[in-house]
Amino acid sequence: MDMKRDYFEDVQLFTSPVVVFWFAFLIGSLYLLPFFVSNYYIYVANYIAINIIVATGLNLLVGYTGQISLGHAGFFAIGAYGTTVLMVKAGLPFLLALPGAALIAACFGFLLGLPALRLEGPYLAIATLGFGLTITQVIGRIELFGGRDGIHVPDINIGSWIIDTDKEFYFLLITLTIFLLWFMRNLIKTRMGRAFIAIRDADIAAETMGVNIVFYKTLAFAISAFYAGIAGGMYAFVLKFIEPEIFTLLMSILFLAMVVVGGLGSMMGSIAGATLLCWLDLKLRNILDIPYVGEWLKNLSENWFSLTGVSNIQYIIFGSIMVGIMLFEPLGLYGIWIRTKKYWRTWPF
Amino acid sequence: MKKRLLFILFVSLTFMLSFTPGLLAEEGVTDTEIHIGAWGPQTGPGAAWGAVPRGTRDYFKWINANGGINGRKLVFHMFDDGYNPAKTKAGVKELQEGTGIFAWAGGVGTSPGLAVKDYLAKKSIPWVGPATGSMEFVNPPQKTLFAVYPLYEGEAKALVNYAIETMGKKRIAIAYQNDGYGKNGLRGALASLKSHGMEAVAQVPFEAKDSDLKPHIMKLKQAKPDMVLVWLTPSQAAKVVGISRAMKFNPQFMSVSTCSDFIFMNYITKGAWEGVITGTFGEVPDSKLPLMAKYKEEIFDKYAAKEERWGIFYYAGILFVEPMIEGLKNAGSDLTREKFITAMENIKGFKGIGPEVNYTPYKKGDIYSRQGTSETFLVQCLKGGKTKRLTGLMDTK
Repeated sequence: MDMKRDYFEDVQLFTSPVVVFWFAFLIGSLYLLPFFVSNYYIYVANYIAINIIVATGLNLLVGYTGQISLGHAGFFAIGAYGTTVLMVKAGLPFLLALPGAALIAACFGFLLGLPALRLEGPYLAIATLGFGLTITQVIGRIELFGGRDGIHVPDINIGSWIIDTDKEFYFLLITLTIFLLWFMRNLIKTRMGRAFIAIRDADIAAETMGVNIVFYKTLAFAISAFYAGIAGGMYAFVLKFIEPEIFTLLMSILFLAMVVVGGLGSMMGSIAGATLLCWLDLKLRNILDIPYVGEWLKNLSENWFSLTGVSNIQYIIFGSIMVGIMLFEPLGLYGIWIRTKKYWRTWPF
Repeated sequence: MKKRLLFILFVSLTFMLSFTPGLLAEEGVTDTEIHIGAWGPQTGPGAAWGAVPRGTRDYFKWINANGGINGRKLVFHMFDDGYNPAKTKAGVKELQEGTGIFAWAGGVGTSPGLAVKDYLAKKSIPWVGPATGSMEFVNPPQKTLFAVYPLYEGEAKALVNYAIETMGKKRIAIAYQNDGYGKNGLRGALASLKSHGMEAVAQVPFEAKDSDLKPHIMKLKQAKPDMVLVWLTPSQAAKVVGISRAMKFNPQFMSVSTCSDFIFMNYITKGAWEGVITGTFGEVPDSKLPLMAKYKEEIFDKYAAKEERWGIFYYAGILFVEPMIEGLKNAGSDLTREKFITAMENIKGFKGIGPEVNYTPYKKGDIYSRQGTSETFLVQCLKGGKTKRLTGLMDTK
């Protein structure tokens, strides 16, 4: 079983050759995916990958450090606008603009982390909520950013490679996503990661043990914002056009839902949560195409809910799935995964 | 030898099979069907606009019931994007690459539209009648994109011209929403003022989310205007006019076509909307135009869901795609995208329930080769939300 005898066993990425094999298999199939599926699914994969990056960053804050943020759409917006404006107005190449914008987001994350030192729970939620709402108002007033009219996003070019198809974008994005996930995984296994977890479990005890709370809390906000910034920057290229109204409160809530549904304090959870929620968000509207059930749902909706038909049913089902997961498995999708694994490991007992 | 022959036969068959559909017909067109796509928010903050694709859907049902187009039925694929551009793009790609759409009709909203504009252009897929008056869809014009919605800029010009030339107004103030919608109006109004050698006495920007409007109105009042052009969303415009009247500030108010549903505006302002002059592009809901009455009876009464309202959003869904139907009819029974675009370009003086529609062959830089409408007329709200027509159709080019 999972007995760890020394520190290095705890920090190593792969515990056995089997894991290495499956990991290589997964990475390989991710890179081969675009050759087998249609362009639409590549777009969906891009959309999901972007949300995975945000969810991973947000999980560091919510799941590992025990803080909350309802303002991540704000960092996401800073990333998107930052990258675009640095490229279009300042003429920076993509490879500098993206991390530049993410660093700006990280600075804002640090600033937002300061009030977090004094606030907890619902109070912190409201403070971050305010940030998320304010940032789009501010961006909308700045003419350089295109104001409320929005701004067009150019194609990415890295040297002579111009990325203007979903497929090429996918290869760039998936590489970036894997790198960021790998970085996060390592971060959590280090001294820093343990400090975050200590703050989550008991901040006073952590401080007594010598964890610098001011430093680590603001750092968690900054790193989390950095991830959202990177994701936002990539999102701008998916849409090719951004305006402040895109980055709504609903977006922040959905990010948080991904982390919670996936499983707090688990990277696997962030990935699963982001994938599931994005997939449902995009796909549930096709529910009408299911034979019999679709027809029945349509009638139900038109007779009892509203004239818009399936769109309401779609959100009701979306909500019920989330409620269902939280009800039966408070650890989220990660909890389900753990239970399944345990079941097979001890099978048939 | 036999094996080899079989192999060659197999390869050539597969080869032929994989190419035949492409040779036989255009994407989205079969012998009996034409696939048309559209999006519009049925949920979320923009849901009021969701009536647009529903109007289009019911209009298509009516066309199918009357024999379709050149022997083909229209298959309408509409989806809910919740006014979220990422979802618009996903939905458009899914339908385009999965089902295969011949052309797109309507499509609500500026940012959802701009998110898919380049994608559709790159694939040369026709798109008729985006449900937005933003300049960005026709400037620069694009070969496959035909706009129907009249430009806000022209409408603002017509209103200010009328105020100066016919009503003799001297001091004009502008209240505008601080976004593309408001700024298009502002630009048109300023251009008209400039051509008369005048300047606005006040320009007051409003944010869509502002709820306390008194400071804005005080600013307007201090400039002592005799006409105020209110270029805001219907709910904010209603508040501005209502509060101004309560503050005994009574200049001539003028407003934009999105606020021309007088029955509704009069109702929410408790009668304060009386006397306001607006531009309008379509007919008013209680219009006596025979075609409007026919649509209401044969489309709305028959196909609309029971809670649907015969309002401007609903029949705008018809108005935006009428030229498309005309184009499809004229493109003939051997339908291809190229023929459809040529047929659209040949539309001259087409009159449905909207203003007259004209297109010309594509010319780089010529906005009006793709902006089909340029006419508006002015109406005034009378007691009880009745409509008085002030002018004939005015060209705003």
